[in-house]
Amino acid sequence: MSIMEYNGGSVIAMVGKDCVAIASDLRLGNQALSISSNFQKIFPVTDRIYLGLPGLATDVTTLRERFRYRVNMYTIKEEREIEPETFAHLVSSTLYEHRFGQYFIEPVIAGLSKTPSGGVKPFIAATDIIGCLNFAKDFVVAGTASSKLFGVAEGLWEPDLEPEDLFETISQSLLNAVDRDAFSGWGAIVHVITKDKVTTRTLKGRMD
Amino acid sequence: MASADGGAYSYSLTVFSPSGKLVQIEHALAAVSQGTTSLGIKASNGIVIATEKKSSSILIDDSMIEKVAVVCPNIGIVYSGMGPDFRVLIARARKSAQAYWKMYGEYPPARVLTQEIATVMQQATQSGGVRPYGVSLLVAGWDSHRGPSLFQVDPSGSFWAWKASAIGKNMVNAKTFLEKRYNDDISLEDAIHTALLTLKEGFEGQMTEKTIEIGVVTVPTLEELEAGKIGGETGRPKPTFRKLSEEEVRDYLAL
Amino acid sequence: MASLAHPQQRQFNPYSENGGTILAIAGADFSVIAGDTRQSEGYSIQTRYAPKVFRLTDRAVLAVNGFAADGNMFVKKVKQRLEWYRHAHAKDMPLRAIARLIQTMLYARRFFPYYVYNILGGIEEDGTGAVYSFDPVGSYEREACRAAGAASSLVQPFLDNQIYFKNQRPAPGTSHPVHLPLPTVLSIVIDSFTSATERHIEVGDGLEIYVVLAKGRNLQGLEGIRGMQELTVTEDGERVFVVRRELKKD
Repeated sequence: MSIMEYNGGSVIAMVGKDCVAIASDLRLGNQALSISSNFQKIFPVTDRIYLGLPGLATDVTTLRERFRYRVNMYTIKEEREIEPETFAHLVSSTLYEHRFGQYFIEPVIAGLSKTPSGGVKPFIAATDIIGCLNFAKDFVVAGTASSKLFGVAEGLWEPDLEPEDLFETISQSLLNAVDRDAFSGWGAIVHVITKDKVTTRTLKGRMD
Repeated sequence: MASADGGAYSYSLTVFSPSGKLVQIEHALAAVSQGTTSLGIKASNGIVIATEKKSSSILIDDSMIEKVAVVCPNIGIVYSGMGPDFRVLIARARKSAQAYWKMYGEYPPARVLTQEIATVMQQATQSGGVRPYGVSLLVAGWDSHRGPSLFQVDPSGSFWAWKASAIGKNMVNAKTFLEKRYNDDISLEDAIHTALLTLKEGFEGQMTEKTIEIGVVTVPTLEELEAGKIGGETGRPKPTFRKLSEEEVRDYLAL
Repeated sequence: MASLAHPQQRQFNPYSENGGTILAIAGADFSVIAGDTRQSEGYSIQTRYAPKVFRLTDRAVLAVNGFAADGNMFVKKVKQRLEWYRHAHAKDMPLRAIARLIQTMLYARRFFPYYVYNILGGIEEDGTGAVYSFDPVGSYEREACRAAGAASSLVQPFLDNQIYFKNQRPAPGTSHPVHLPLPTVLSIVIDSFTSATERHIEVGDGLEIYVVLAKGRNLQGLEGIRGMQELTVTEDGERVFVVRRELKKD
């Protein structure tokens, strides 16, 4: 049995036109037994960065606190908010510090970074459990439904989606993928990050 | 007030004198003010740091002496005071910059690196069995958040940001000179000339490309920034701090 | 020298996995059966053209995926049984009968199975398009669509969404179509394979799409499809076509 399947769960992030979206299921399981249908796996890091942590539930909590600590220290020391690219490197180095005693988490990062001319640029990234970074231009997936997510997202995603279309695309990708995964599902949460706001929606889906 | 020989408190690093001073730190500052003059000027489109490189004998191969040091592609430091202490601090600063790169995938802002060096210098004022560093530093750097910034660090570990500053021998005169010459929209080219003029004020002997060292921070253009911070085939960031070559220094001296 | 006193164990593994993916979708009066043509073992590509989809009769097409040696032998045996049927009954075996035959043949090897997933597509006697999917030991079901093989986990949820309209709600006063038109089905099939090729190393090289049309139907837009070829043998019955396309080879 894979350690990722102990609690289950999946996360996906996608790039749109001047926006990004990140979504996850809400299941917490104990192997085949479902425990909760309201287990959050995605956390805000700054106003413009969200972090998804699918994997072993105990490590979800631990890493969330670790990153909260490290980002707070960064913000105070540098007197500025951390940028998504920098945060992705922080995630990577934090995970690699535990190269030989890993956290069983496959983080997904979604955010908007500032451009030198004052605009915003969509940013997504994902790493494996020891912090190997993947900066994708289209979408990233992680968790027990990752292969299904790859298949659906590869079929549905297209470049330069507006926020509402991006929401529909990421939601359909996630819902249809987790419906074919026994370890993910039980509802979903979707965040769409744009220049001036973050829209969060909770989806029902098939609750079985 | 510390007496000429330092008095009863002068030997212990960590004991305050009744007047509230740590006399060893004052002595370290005295060592700095005997060192050769260094200065830094922040211009509208960059920063210049410069120093006088004086060797005690004509037999010394002065091409080996380095007083302006590159820490990482966006930060350079010049010092006045004790050369060996500076060397140690530069090694620490470079390590710190690389550690930062390893953690965040980018080089530290000048402000953060300065604080790290200042912390190292502060620790030498409070630890057992050590003495304070006998140097003052001028740290020049560029980062996307704060733009160009110039800091001075003293042996006590305190640091400030400056528009222009001078350290070492003649620092009082040099600062007065800079105060007269400085304005907020001075260009980098003008700042380099002002730097050379300021050094000339207290210079003993001939100012040549062998006796002057200059480092400059160049602020990248918006196009360069939009093109991305990773450049070239090496994937290394394009440096914003560089030392001027002897040829370049000679050209500036000729003008 | 190895001591004879110690017992030694040796093992022969008669099975292998040869990658690739197959898929079939049933329409109202047609059926589409497709498969890629890459055959691999581990990280090596054995050939870029090994068909996995076979015309059985003018109304039945079989796709086999899994262990290629078993697959080829299985198709050979099914074709043989169909020929015997023709000799005995002077007609082609109906689709639902072929499906039951395949179950029987698979289950006959319950304890040394053909290591293959079968998908049978074609036209039923009532003229409707049909897809039957099987597991390696003969458990089977008639469905509207099915993906199997290496990239089935990538393709199946996409099909759920695009064919069954799962997680989609029709606009008020409308309903989702039960069967999709042929051109739509073909573009979903092509999209599924380009996506699977993009993300799965065992899928790629070539794509073969078989289309079975019910008796007396027009081409429904098939005439405009690039790389189409007709394979029909009998006259005024169902018609079989194949569309061959390139897939990425990396």
